[in-house]
Amino acid sequence: MATTLSDLDSNETDPEPELPPDVLAHSSMLQDRCPEWLKTQKSLAVLTAAVGFTFLVLSYFSLWHTDLWGHLSYGRWIWEQGALPATEPLMTLANGMPMINFSWLSQLIGWGMYSIAGNEGLQFLYASSITACVILLLVRFYKRTNHVVWSLLGVGVFLWLEWQHLRIIRPQLAGMLCHVSLLTLLVGTRWHKRNWVVIPVLFGLWANLHGSFLIGIATLAALCVGRAIDVLRRTGQLQAVVKDNRVRRLFLLTELAAVAVLLNPYGLGIYQAALGLTANTNLQDLVEWDALNLKMKQGQAAGAIALALIFAYQFSPRRVSVAEVLLLLGFGMSALWVSRMIVWWAPVAAYCLVLHGSAAWKQFRKTQTSPAERQGKWSFISLGLVWICFAFTPFGNFVMHGRHQETERAVSTLTPLGAVKYLNEHPPQGQVFNTYEWGDYLLWAGPKNMQVFVASHAHLIPPTVWQHYMKIIHTSAGWDEVLDQYGVNTVVLDQLSRKNFITRMKREEKWKLDYEDSTAAVFVRKAPIL
Amino acid sequence: MKRQQTTLAIFLAVQILVIAAIGISFAVSSRSTTPTQQALSAINPNTVPTVAIERSQPIRIQPLYDDPEVVSDEELAAVLKQIRPRFPQEGTKPNYVEHALRTWGVDAEFRDPTLMSGEKMKDFLVDHGRYLASWGEEVKPLLVERPTGVTIRWGREKGGSVHHDHWLACLTEAGVNLNEAVFTPTRRDMTMNDVVQEALRDFRLDERETEWSAMAFGLWIPPAKSWQTASGRTLTFDDLARRLLRGHKRFGVCSGTHRLYSMMVLLRLDDEFEILSKQVRGDVYHHLENVRDLLKIAQFENGVWPANWMDGANAVENPAMLEEYKNVIATGHHLEWLAIAPKDLHPPREMILKAADWIIENTTSKTEEEIASKFTFYSHVGSALALWRKTRPADYWREWLKTHPEEPSKSVKASKD
Repeated sequence: MATTLSDLDSNETDPEPELPPDVLAHSSMLQDRCPEWLKTQKSLAVLTAAVGFTFLVLSYFSLWHTDLWGHLSYGRWIWEQGALPATEPLMTLANGMPMINFSWLSQLIGWGMYSIAGNEGLQFLYASSITACVILLLVRFYKRTNHVVWSLLGVGVFLWLEWQHLRIIRPQLAGMLCHVSLLTLLVGTRWHKRNWVVIPVLFGLWANLHGSFLIGIATLAALCVGRAIDVLRRTGQLQAVVKDNRVRRLFLLTELAAVAVLLNPYGLGIYQAALGLTANTNLQDLVEWDALNLKMKQGQAAGAIALALIFAYQFSPRRVSVAEVLLLLGFGMSALWVSRMIVWWAPVAAYCLVLHGSAAWKQFRKTQTSPAERQGKWSFISLGLVWICFAFTPFGNFVMHGRHQETERAVSTLTPLGAVKYLNEHPPQGQVFNTYEWGDYLLWAGPKNMQVFVASHAHLIPPTVWQHYMKIIHTSAGWDEVLDQYGVNTVVLDQLSRKNFITRMKREEKWKLDYEDSTAAVFVRKAPIL
Repeated sequence: MKRQQTTLAIFLAVQILVIAAIGISFAVSSRSTTPTQQALSAINPNTVPTVAIERSQPIRIQPLYDDPEVVSDEELAAVLKQIRPRFPQEGTKPNYVEHALRTWGVDAEFRDPTLMSGEKMKDFLVDHGRYLASWGEEVKPLLVERPTGVTIRWGREKGGSVHHDHWLACLTEAGVNLNEAVFTPTRRDMTMNDVVQEALRDFRLDERETEWSAMAFGLWIPPAKSWQTASGRTLTFDDLARRLLRGHKRFGVCSGTHRLYSMMVLLRLDDEFEILSKQVRGDVYHHLENVRDLLKIAQFENGVWPANWMDGANAVENPAMLEEYKNVIATGHHLEWLAIAPKDLHPPREMILKAADWIIENTTSKTEEEIASKFTFYSHVGSALALWRKTRPADYWREWLKTHPEEPSKSVKASKD
């Protein structure tokens, strides 16, 4: 049985039993002397515990072995050069490829954080950005439902849907935080005048943090159009639409957001660049750009939540707005097209599920919520939880004691630490062939000027080079010839997903296995191509 | 009423703000030359800038040696006589004409009317009407119109130019003017410049063959060192040189020897225009030194450099069963790049002499039919030997004819592709 916030609070309002006078005197000493403004409800402590636990757990997540390191490399490059690159600056085979760096600010922040606090700083950034999303959603859900369990359930739905994308620390997290911030601002029960400033500022930041700012503009536009249709359906008058305050507000906000986006190094051109990115043919070979299907874990999650939404809408006493239908269907359809779009669908789906699910539940239970009592102890418990959940993180440990954890503990087990150590001790001659997933880490931690074949910024790789990469990695006919064509003298492969390739390389006359551990294998050409 | 007016004023103010912001952003973007704006303009294929070419005649790489010991007057004449451009009028292969034109030049003239003069060869290549007369309508045009310029149909298709940008490189080496009219099937306002610009635009660094593009671009665009392709990629001569250096030496057309010739052309151009960075120049030079060292140990007793010359001593110790024409290709092409290379990059002189002796003997001993069937390879022999005498076949032949009557050529039947 679900417990509502009022249920939890009601336990605290039971009448006190009759006590002897001496005990009463004692009791007065325990009287809550906390200032009224500092008092809070028990629900806050519950939610703080949930948020704190989330932050604590996320803080111990290892740094993923893929594009994080590429973004840090770009951040380092930007910091050192004092400018954004016009062309791809790190991969030799991508020399001269134009580079629109939507994420330059995220990369700089990441590099700055790493410079100050090392891996712990990155873990803190990662945990903070996701926790911030969780807080924003929890607050909004709670304000809309006044129900702790439904609020936590909503956050759980959000995390479940996002999980695969949340695992990787990258600028998309900043985009997601912006998206959640926007959504929670727009679906609030009250409109604040400060939002006229906050939302354009948010878009100004978003356009420099990640290329997903178009999602935000689409969200605003959908809300505006949705509201207009609602008004039109209700009144049947176009004039009513024009006069509707919310329609006007959303229309102006959309315009202001679109203008705020112009505050980026690429100006107006960023729109075309962002729209054109998805047309890159290289991306079609990446799993996260595949269509969503039920074989994927995130596809299964999306399927289950879609089903839950159908039930919630079926039983919800709330009016369904056109805007939420537009957002659910719009982002949902695009997620079916490109699975990566689930990132933007997730908070919308979670919000709609909480809103209608809780409404249906309330109708079913027919419970009246009574105002919860505010007590000082819950404030102190909440603060204590915040402190504990910070102090016991690797970053907290670094801040308080200046201690760094071992790299092996900070990075994912799939990070090629041993192979990189080997390569630093034996710098490869000429071109290296590497698995796509490791290109970034090799660029970041490998020998200086190491010529990696590809890295995770696939859209910056010339299409022919990408096709050749695919040919080699799938050991398609003529793969070894392509290695010769590129003058590859060193091959770095991961044990997890390239087992067959490694076995094949071991059989090849021209190559010798020079390094191997449980994560990686490094092959070196017996007669290097010079 | 007052509230309505305020709302309207806010609405109008936002509209003005939006228009002003877009206007300012557009103005700033279009005037800015920052790296970010360069990147933006690069991803928009409609704005690929053309490369300003400062010359109307292509650069010519001057030969460095006049060495009659390598090839005497009589030997050169005998070789040139063998490779005179005698092609059937019907189904004339563009690839053959391209080779002949680069060897002989636009100003080549022959008394024998069955031979194609330089002017006729050029016309065949730049005028769709001439091509049509030879091939009829059964094949696609050689000159392909594009909204942005002209490109050449290449590949293994019937009547096509075989290699990418070979047409362009050959006309360039032959000395065709930048303003030379190029008549496509429906347009008569195109020039060589349109072909050059289109070639620069549609070049892909990672395509299979880059040898001729490198040469053509090098002979036209310096002192410009970089250009932008239709994909938005900015390329430099450093990139071209690195691409030529990339991979095993066996790769590339004609046993990898065209790569060497193109590298040598870039080095020579760099002497004058500094188109390469110090690092890349050093890498190219080192590569050619490495090739020189291989040539020292890969020559057979009779002077042949085999097609697998890159195997070094092993090529001689364990000779591969190669068809003779492949050795003609390798030996002839090596002599060609060595003719424009500084002496430091030469194998010992006696090796060059032996190679020249063998190739002269081989070429002059062939029948016209044999030469015709392998004309493209033998044309390089003529070109190489003329370079070793610091001359051009057209000039040399003109002088030679003053004292020697030209023997009429037999009509040679050549099959279509």
